[in-house]
Parts: sequence; structure tokens; C-alpha cells
Amino acid sequence: MRPDGLAALPKQALETAVSARSPLTPDLPRQAALARFLKRGFPSTRAEDWKYTDLSAAIDVTRDWLAAGAVSGIPDSLADDAAALTGNIDASWVVVGNGQIVGDLPAESGKDGIVVERLSRAAVEPSIEQPLADLNAALLTDGLHVRVPKGARPSRPLGILYLDQTDEDPLVSLQRAVIDVEAGAQIAVIEYHASKGRGGHYSNTQVELSVGDGGSIDYVRLQNRDRAHSQTQRLGVTLARDSAFRHFALDLGGALTRNDLTIDIAGPGAEARFDGLYIAGDGQHIDNHTRVDHRVGPARSAQEYRGILRGQCRAVWNGKAIVHEGADGTDAVQGNHNLLLSEGAEIDAKPELEIYADDVKCAHGTTVGQLDESALFYLRSRGIGPSDAQRILTHAFAASIVRELPIGRLSDAVNTLIDRRLGDSLAMESA
Amino acid sequence: MLRIQNLTARIGDTEILSGLSLSVEAGEVHAIMGPNGSGKSTLAQVVAGHADYEVTAGSVEFKGQDLLELEPEERAREGVFLGFQYPVEIPGVNNAYLLKAAVNAKREHRGQDEIDAFEFMKLAREKMAMLGMDQKFLSRGVNEGFSGGEKKRNEILQMAMLEPELAILDETDSGLDIDALKAVAGGVNALRSPDRAIVLVTHYQRLLDYVEPDFVHVLSDGRIARSGDKTLALKLEAQGYDWVKEAVGA
Amino acid sequence: MSTEPENIESLVNQRYKHGFITDIETDALPPGLDEDVVRAISARKNEPDWMLEWRLRAYRQWLAMREPEWAHVHYPPIDYQEISYFAAPKSDADRPKSLDEVDPKLLETYDKLGIPLHERARLAGVAVDAVFDSVSVTTTFKDKLSEAGVIFCSFSEAVENHPELVEKYLGSVVPQRDNFFAALNSAVFSDGSFVYVPKGVRCPMELSTYFRINAANTGQFERTLIVADEGSYVSYLEGCTAPMRDENQLHAAVVELVALKDAEIKYSTVQNWYPGDENGKGGIYNFVTKRGDCRGANSKISWTQVETGSAITWKYPSCILRGDNSTGEFYSVAVANNFQQADTGTKMIHIGRNTSSTIVSKGISAGKAQNAYRGLVKVMPQAHDARNYTQCDSLLIGKECGAHTFPYMEIKNPGAHVEHEATTSKISANQLFYCRQRGISEEDAVNMIVNGFCKEVFNELPMEFAVEAQALLNVSLEGAVG
Repeated sequence: MRPDGLAALPKQALETAVSARSPLTPDLPRQAALARFLKRGFPSTRAEDWKYTDLSAAIDVTRDWLAAGAVSGIPDSLADDAAALTGNIDASWVVVGNGQIVGDLPAESGKDGIVVERLSRAAVEPSIEQPLADLNAALLTDGLHVRVPKGARPSRPLGILYLDQTDEDPLVSLQRAVIDVEAGAQIAVIEYHASKGRGGHYSNTQVELSVGDGGSIDYVRLQNRDRAHSQTQRLGVTLARDSAFRHFALDLGGALTRNDLTIDIAGPGAEARFDGLYIAGDGQHIDNHTRVDHRVGPARSAQEYRGILRGQCRAVWNGKAIVHEGADGTDAVQGNHNLLLSEGAEIDAKPELEIYADDVKCAHGTTVGQLDESALFYLRSRGIGPSDAQRILTHAFAASIVRELPIGRLSDAVNTLIDRRLGDSLAMESA
Repeated sequence: MLRIQNLTARIGDTEILSGLSLSVEAGEVHAIMGPNGSGKSTLAQVVAGHADYEVTAGSVEFKGQDLLELEPEERAREGVFLGFQYPVEIPGVNNAYLLKAAVNAKREHRGQDEIDAFEFMKLAREKMAMLGMDQKFLSRGVNEGFSGGEKKRNEILQMAMLEPELAILDETDSGLDIDALKAVAGGVNALRSPDRAIVLVTHYQRLLDYVEPDFVHVLSDGRIARSGDKTLALKLEAQGYDWVKEAVGA
Repeated sequence: MSTEPENIESLVNQRYKHGFITDIETDALPPGLDEDVVRAISARKNEPDWMLEWRLRAYRQWLAMREPEWAHVHYPPIDYQEISYFAAPKSDADRPKSLDEVDPKLLETYDKLGIPLHERARLAGVAVDAVFDSVSVTTTFKDKLSEAGVIFCSFSEAVENHPELVEKYLGSVVPQRDNFFAALNSAVFSDGSFVYVPKGVRCPMELSTYFRINAANTGQFERTLIVADEGSYVSYLEGCTAPMRDENQLHAAVVELVALKDAEIKYSTVQNWYPGDENGKGGIYNFVTKRGDCRGANSKISWTQVETGSAITWKYPSCILRGDNSTGEFYSVAVANNFQQADTGTKMIHIGRNTSSTIVSKGISAGKAQNAYRGLVKVMPQAHDARNYTQCDSLLIGKECGAHTFPYMEIKNPGAHVEHEATTSKISANQLFYCRQRGISEEDAVNMIVNGFCKEVFNELPMEFAVEAQALLNVSLEGAVG
């Protein structure tokens, strides 16, 4: 069978781009990654995991970008825009602009400090053989390696801003971060995606996170890209004994968004809590795939994703929990709740359980519906107009999951983003 | 009837009973009291044969035979009844069905014929009337959606139907309003007889106002710290459990 | 103390109760499949040309199709040329006209199966069509049914006597090329049952078909078509058994239901094909396509299934809710023990306005079995005010089995209310201990708890079937717990 999405791709330009990058960091295994990618191409909707998400938009941008020489300059305005986005969020920020680290890396600060470096070779080797990870590895030019040393507990969160800007030209950004939280260490990380510009854009992010024995991480991903841009993002997490991972994902922007969160529970006593909120409007497609592998027990995983859809849009949520043989004492819960607020909106939800151990407790619940009629009526009977009543209840629906946000100091910033996005969405209705 | 000697038991790596001894004779009512975590419920569960508890030393004899050798259902058929602190819900299983299966298991064990369906219903209705229970409980799932009080009454109904020789009631009084408490106490008193022993495991004196015990024991750190008559319960009520610990520690 | 699953498992050693082989002469085609075989089957049944053409079209389409691989089941490749596609008891040449003429050995078979073919049938008010290997043997109560205008006969008779009905509805719910196994069935189906309930008629009794595969190396490909005309009602029961054989046998049936305006069809199945032995040897491959079309407004189709047999079960009784206000239901108990594999569930396709569907699935896995629920709830853009409720529970008995849930929800209308809940857990140690403390043996306690777990589904079965289903469940799990 022919690999998917490659027919349109200028293969020669791709090979040239990969070769041109080799002298920059000669020890990266680019050619092997390229060879694997060329064998399989982009994931297609024929694959079960991609059934509901068509990557054509990202493929088109990649084609144009390669044809134009696969260059990614950094516009002068980027630093200012980055400062504006991060200004009111208290964190140590690293800015990655158009796939390049911009400015200085935070310095190591005392015994609580974290070590932030440019990627070394070992960290770049893709940990999974998956076409999008291979494409990333073949074309990557810069990346981050974050180490939180044993027992360290930095007081400020680490922020990583992925900001992409292109005025006219097509742009593909390849981004990678490897984060090691060592035994007993504890940290909060913010991963923030934003983009602007009229040019076509596709961002491909790969994050590898490992948490050592007794370590803990609070991880918030915010995505508010331009609504014409595309991204695929993967966060792979490995959890050791008694470690904790708390995650919140917010998706507001992007034309085509696909996030993969895969969690490997490799040590007993580990706990993973991951939640998300997606708000989709006209022309948006937001796909969240989560997968948690319970390899040992006892351990707990719990997730709840909520979606608000209005306009010609589509959201996909696929939550998979696999309890492997012998992972006794597993407790896995999945929840997914969606508000469908207009014609043309579509949700495809698939909560999956695969269980090969018997001493387990697993459950999932999924709902698709509208705002509660009786609550709407109640508010209106108190004199609140229908559109206000709708707004209040929609906010409440979102708030009930935002409450779980693991990094408390982020809640103002997150609520502002959500308010603005819902404001747009609901204004559309009354227009 | 029941002779417990030097019983030591643990759950996982935690030892809960540490050399407990207790003798209960037919016709007696014993109350076992003690603070949370003293091992009261563990004692009840071990006598009934719960698999989570491992007996590491000591013996439990019931009517002269080694109780620890028997499976839980064999102990039940021999006449040991445990009224659970938290009766489990069994969705879809009809309450009457379970009750009848239990009655027949016991009858079969004694070499008796199965109970006649008419006879069974008659008996069940009688006992339910005595406990102030609505007939509809019979057709509902076992404890399914029952309130706390309903569950406890249901335990007493089962006890009344099974007519055990040794009834251990684990915190049967907890979470009951005064009406339910009286109904439960009435059920227990109705079963008092010279051939039967009753062990009440309780945290408070309250139930003992209605069911008067012959003996009161106080558990502390997995063994009986003090035994006495009903006045001991009143003293506990007035002074709390700390003085028992102090007395033991002294 | 033996609440541990290891002990629980040691109790599974119950022999398959229906595993006898009936020693009667069969008239079978040699193994193999080509156009000539399709023609031969059609010729033996004296079919009209259109029927033969229909089969041949299906056969040609099948040739171009691939066996599906997406299900959570594993089995060695099937050699479709090693299967015999037609086997009939020899006496088929001059078919019996009444029960008295039926080969007594056959009747004995049905007696062993506990099928209420004679008086018991009359008492139970059940009309039975029995399909033995590939042909329909006898249909009881024809007279009483024809008084009501209900047609209940073998598929072959329907082709002969009611060709206009068959031609109109056959393949209208499950097209020939719907899937690999449906296409194969369309080419080689040998017999099955046909039901037509005329306008406004409430079928006076439960209709029932018992299927049995007897001959060795034979596939069974029956076809069932039920049409409920406007305002009518019918309840249909289906039971299946097969003898114990070391080879795997293929069963690829197609069931099509059509409910017109205001009509209701209730379809109940107790499937107890031979599941293979405790080492996974032998057993039926049950690859079945069942679909109902709620074609008219206010129509209703309800599937209830109790699946205890088969080495592999691959079936998804589905409802197409085309008519406004139509209703689809799916109630299922699937038990898999030893090496059984089940991948079963349903599809509810909401098309009309104000349609509703209910799915209740109870899966029980024991031994080394794999049991998967796979379901689709699809609400089309024009399906305003669609409602779905899905409850999907799995019970695990033992450490080596698997329980899986793959529900798909594709919702394209903002008025839809879709609710899906699923749980998976092992049989509760607390429930077991509670029952045992009341003097009930562990095995009885397990049966009691499992039956309670399945109660919602059993409640949907007609009385006599519910009793049989409960007994089967206990037999299937015997020894799974101990």
C-alpha cells in the first residue's frame, strides 16, 4: 500500500531539507527517522486512531513549506508578542519561536533549581516510532531538555511558550521537549501554544515526560492558536512508583488540532489525573486522544474532558484505558461531557476500556446534550434574558472542570482566555 | 458455646487482634465495646471467616469444634450469624430469594427438607411485621437502595429467619433513628433464649438501654482490656475510653 | 478460605450439555465453493431464476471482499474451500408433511434439546420452526397462524409460495455486499425462517426457531426475514445448539427485520452453540449479521440476546431508526468462559425525528476468555431530538480473562441527548462473603450474583426463555468460580 499523504509531498525537497539540517547537529538520527516516515507517510483516516481526523490541512502546509525551501525565520515582532502573552502569568518562561529557542534559557538557581538545556542527542531519539514523531525528528532544529533534579521543588512554574508567526509564507514548526522529573522532585509546567499571521501554519510538537519515584508534576497545556492554523501535539508520560501527574488541557484555537496524551503507569502507587476543556466554533476541528496504560497496580487514573461546540465544527474525544495483565488494584475513571449548541456541530466520542486483570475498578461516562432546559427556565423566571441565561450556564459547564486546574496561580489567566473565547462564541449566536 | 483463646489476627501487615480471649455461653448476651480501631469489627469478621483477615495464632472453638477450619458458609450453617456493619448491596438479587436460599441451605445441612414456599412466606411476613418492615422489601434487590436503617432491619430479619445459635451484631445500632433502634432492639430481645448467645459489638451505650447485656467487655489494642457487667458500659459512656487505656497502660 | 479466583476457576469443568451428535444420514454437497455450488444449492431448492441471480450477484461481490479484521478476536485463517455449503437430512427429498412423518431420530434430537415441539409447544403457545443443519424441518402451528393471516414458514417455502414478499424485502436491510459474511450468506444460504405479519395483526403466539448444526465440516448459513406490516406486533425467539466436534464450524447467518408504520418486533435469542472444550479446541465460529429497520413512523424493534455459546461470537444486532418516533432497543448478556471470544454489541442509527434507543449490555468474562462490547450510536444531522441511553457493564471472574468496551458515539445533531455509562469490575468479594455468611455455598452465591447482574436483560425475555437463559448462564459459568 502507498504511504499516505506523501504523493503530494515534494520528496526531493524533504530529503534536501533533512540533509541541510544534518550539519547543524550532526549526531541526530535524522536519516533513519526520515526513512521510517517515507515508508508510512502521514496517518490516514483509514487508521482506527485517525478515523475522525483528516490531516490534509497540515499536509498541504508541509508541502508548500518544503516547496518554498523549508525555511523558518523569526519575525522581529515575536519577542514583543511573547512578552505580551506571558506578562501576566508568573513563571520562568522559555520562548520557542517558529521552532527556535528565542532569547536566554533560565539559569540554574541554587539547590531548588531546574536545569534547562538545548536538546542533547539522546533526548532527540524519538521514543516512539510514529510518523508524526519521525517527521519531527527528521526536521527538528532546536529543542529543550528540562531536568528537575532529585528532590528539587522549584517555587515558580516553568513556562514554555510555543509562539509561531508567519506573515505570508507557509510555515512548519517542529518542537520537542524532554522533561525529566527525578525522584522526589516536584514542579509545575505550563505549555502554551499561540500563533498568528496570514500564512499557512502547521506546528508539530513532541513532549516526553518522565516522573521518577515519588516525583510529582502539575502540567497545564494552553492552546490558543490562530483559527486558520494547525497543530499536532503529543505528550508522552511515564510514571514511576508513587509519582503523581496532574494535567489540564485547554484548547480554544486552531483550525485543525490533534493532541495525543499517552500515559504509562510503570510504578505502583502512581496517580494520574488529567482533565481538559475544548471550545470549538466555525471551521474548527479539535481532537483529543488520551491513552493510559496501567502496567502495574495499584494505581489510579482519572480523566474528565468537557467540550463546548457551536457553529460548523467538529470535536473528537477518544479516551482509552488499558489495564494490563497483573495490574491489580487499578482504578481508572473516564468522563467526557459535551454541549452541542448549534446545527453543524459534531462530536465523535469513544471511551474505550481494555482490561486484562480482574482486581480492577473501571468506569466511564459520556454525555452529549444541550443546556439544561429547566435551569434555563429557572434563570429566565428570575428575569435573566435567554442569551444571558445561556451564557451563564455555558460558563458554569466550563467552570466545573476548570475548577480542577492543578496550577492555582494560572486560574485568572485561564479564565480570561475562556471568557474571551466564550464571549466570541456566544456573540456569534446573537448576531 | 464460643471459646476464643489468644486470638491474633492481621490484615496485610497490620496486626489488629493481639492475643484476645473470650468465652460466651448459651443464653448469654455480651456487649463488646471499644474505641474506633480497637479491633471490634475484626473480631466479628474473623469469627465469621472473612478471607481478608489472617489468623496467626490462637484458636476459636464453637460448640467444641474448630471454627477456623470451616468455610464461611459452613460456619453459618452451624449456627454462626454475623449482622454486618455495612450490609452489601447485591443488585438484581431478590431479597426473598436470598433469604430462602439461606434458610434452605441451613435446613439441608441439618438433613431437613426444603421449606415449603407458602410456609416460607408466612414466616417471613410474621417476622417482618414484628420488625415493622414493609412487605415490599421481599421483592427488592438485596439491600439495593435501602436506607441505612432499612439495611439494619434487614439484617435482623435475616437473623430472625435463620435462628442462629450465635448471633454477632456488628454496630447494628449505628446510624439508626430512635424508631429503627427500638425495632432492632425488639428483634434482638425476641431472639433471646437459653439456647442462644448474642454478641453485640457497639461503640455506644445507646443500644444497651434497650438490650440489657449480661457482660460488657472493652477492647483496646486488639485484646480485652476490661470486663464487667452492664455498669461498665455506663461508666464508659460517662468517662469515655481513655481511662481504660490508662488503666491498661498503668 | 476460597474466595480467591484460583479456587473459583477450579470449578469449571461442566461438559457441554447439548454436545450429542445425531446419527442420521445426511445429503451434503462436497466441500468447496464456486458458482456451480451456488447453482447447485439453488437447484436443490427449486428456486426461481431471480433468486439464483441474486445469489450469484452476492457470490461475485463476496469474491472481491476481505474478511474483517477489526474485531477483538483471533482465529486461524478459515479455508472457505474446506467447508460444505449444504447438508440436509436425507429424508429432505420427500419432506415430512406433518410431525408424524418427521424422522423420529430428529424429534429425539429436539427432545434432548428440550425444544417444546409437541405438546409442550402447544402448552407454551409457541410455534416452532426447527432448522437442522441447513434445512427447515418442521413448522408447528401453521393452521392457527394462518387463521390470523400470519405467514411463518421456512425460507424455502417462502421463496416458493410468497415470492413477491421475499423479493421485495430480501436484502433491503442487509444488502448482499454489506460485509464479508453477509455476502457469503447471501450466496449460499440454505434455509431459515420467514415471518410476515399483516397489517394490524398482533401475532397470537410467540414464534420460535431452533437452529442446530449437526453434520461435520458443515457451515450453517441460515437467513431469517421478518416483516411486520403496519400496526402489527410479533415476538420471535431463536435458540441455537451444536454438537461437540474437534473442528471449528462456521455459522454465518443473516437476520433482517422490517417494521413498518406503528409495527413492533421483539427478537430474542438464546445462543448456545458449542463453545469448544476447556482447552479451546473446537467450537462454532458465529459470524452473524442482524439488523432491523424501523422503516415506518412509531415503529419499534427490540433485540434481546443471551450469548453463552460459540468459540467466537461476532455479531451486532442493530437498528436503523428511520421512521419518526421510532424506537430501538438492545439488551444483551454475553458470557465467555475458557477460551471463548466474544465481540458483540449493537449499532443504533438515528435518522428520523424524535427517535430513541436504549442499550443495556452485560458482559461476563471467565477463564481465559476475551469479551468485548462494541457499539455505535450515530445521530444523523436530520435526526432532531434523538435520545440514547447506554449502560454497559462488565464482570470479570478470574485473572486471565479480558473485558473490553469499544463504544463509538457520532453525534451530528445539536438536539441529541446521548448518555453512555460503563463499568468494569470483578465479582465483589464482599457480596460473596455476605452470601456465604448466610450459609449459601460459594458457587450458588456466584450464580446468584451473576444472575442479579444480568437481571435487567433477563427481564426482557419471554418467561420460558428467561428460565432457560438463567440455567444456561449457570451451566456456562459452572466452575468459573469456586
